[in-house]
Amino acid sequence: MSTNPIKRFLPAILVLGVAGVVVAAVTEPAQRPPASAISAATETRPPVNEDSVKFLVLGDTGTGDRAQYDVSAQVWKSHQVFPYEFAIMVGDNIYGSERPQDFAQKFERPYKPLLDANIAFYASLGNHDDPNQRYYKPFGMNGQRYYTYQKKDVRFFALDSNYMDRDQQTWLEKELKDSDAKWKIAYFHHPIYSSGGRHGSEVDLREIIEPMFLQYGMNVVFAGHEHFYERLKPQKGIHYFTAGGSSKLREGDIMTGALTAKGFDTEQSYMVVEIDGDVMRFQTISRRGKVVDSGEITRQAKPEPKS
Amino acid sequence: MTKLKSASFVLSIAVLAAGCTRDVTSAPPAPTDAASKAPAGPKAAAPEAPKLVPSVPPVGSPFPAPALAAAPDGQPGTNVQGAATLEFQNQIKAYLRIHNEAESKVPKLKRTDDPKEISDRESMLAKAIQTLRTSAKVGQIFAPEYQPYFIKIVQDDFARRSAVDRKAIIDELPKNMKVDINTVYPTTLALATFPAGLLRKLPDLPPELEYRLVGRSLILRDVKANLIVDILRDVVPTIPS
Repeated sequence: MSTNPIKRFLPAILVLGVAGVVVAAVTEPAQRPPASAISAATETRPPVNEDSVKFLVLGDTGTGDRAQYDVSAQVWKSHQVFPYEFAIMVGDNIYGSERPQDFAQKFERPYKPLLDANIAFYASLGNHDDPNQRYYKPFGMNGQRYYTYQKKDVRFFALDSNYMDRDQQTWLEKELKDSDAKWKIAYFHHPIYSSGGRHGSEVDLREIIEPMFLQYGMNVVFAGHEHFYERLKPQKGIHYFTAGGSSKLREGDIMTGALTAKGFDTEQSYMVVEIDGDVMRFQTISRRGKVVDSGEITRQAKPEPKS
Repeated sequence: MTKLKSASFVLSIAVLAAGCTRDVTSAPPAPTDAASKAPAGPKAAAPEAPKLVPSVPPVGSPFPAPALAAAPDGQPGTNVQGAATLEFQNQIKAYLRIHNEAESKVPKLKRTDDPKEISDRESMLAKAIQTLRTSAKVGQIFAPEYQPYFIKIVQDDFARRSAVDRKAIIDELPKNMKVDINTVYPTTLALATFPAGLLRKLPDLPPELEYRLVGRSLILRDVKANLIVDILRDVVPTIPS
């Protein structure tokens, strides 16, 4: 029997090593992120009020690549500090093929800790999404391409900006008109204001939905499509955020100009948001766990009803 | 006679133009003065590009036939736009009958945790429709005699856009994709966003169907089956390089 400890334990080390590789292949994406890519801690700050509405904002996530897994790890770290209750997705939930294994690779696996913790997702459709995703229960769409729901005194409107037909416009106007929620927040894929070099503002869509937003007192709008983070200067009193860089990234694409209040296009990012009475607080966190933007928004006064 | 023809043409253009903007009254309220003066995004601020290269003209005239053509017997003429829309809607109804028959042969689509159920159902429905439409031909719904009406709507819409806007739309369209009737839309390709302004000008569709642009074609897509139902080719203009 060998007395050299390396020789003695070599078979066991080999077996454990092979098993480790097999387990990693099953539970991790093909490209495993290097440990250095994910910081050990997050700079996420806790919410101010534990009774507030707290949510996560993700956009353009469904790549299934290393970036998505890095960001999802940070997202879960943020939750330990900032216990958001649900997540909104601003589209491009699954890129490329949409086979069952793609849903696993591009959604279920990266967000497993959140799903296990019963954090509800409320998705909207991006241009890369098959509209039949609305039947996938974990996306929380209840079989609808566009829908609305309320969390305490916040009414959310998830729109399908890929296809803004007359039915959706009629529905949106009715829902906005009927809602007496203190806060109204819309989210959808295509930003109607954007400094993106690749796409820019969706002027067509803006012509249709912005008048309704103004008339019925929309407070905040989240969008994606542009693969970066941008906080825009308030447009006609409405606050707009683009959060389409939670996995995809288009580095250097922000053409900073009159619209931009803050832009971040050098790394992937996501947002955590708290609505507490008349105040909305937000933090935008990078793939490496740095807070790259944060702030407070005070709820705008409701528009006067027209006589 | 020449005067009569000219008057008829002017009238037809006027009616057609009215048709193209028929949704104005039912559209959401226009922005206020202040709104219209607000800074626009990069697309709106961009300068105009050179003129579009006209797409391949449709067979016959590049424009729809006069909307109000004088009937030989002096009776009120035909509203071509109205006739095109009516014929289109009839063809849509005929397609829906097939869609509904196919749907009755496959399991009901329900909300599920299992994405396989969704993709299997999509495939089953597509196959059922394909079987029922084996003889389907391009132009069955976009009937050839009314294609100029649709082409004009699309081309007018592109013509009124800024160069940057046109480029942004065209850049996003799937390229080099073989589009064929009664085939599945490739699941790996993005469904390019349909310009909201253009959508307002086209005839309404039932929820089972939607318009999409692919390359230079306008297609009708069955949403639940992910199937290409009809194609109108060479609709989207090209941009000079």
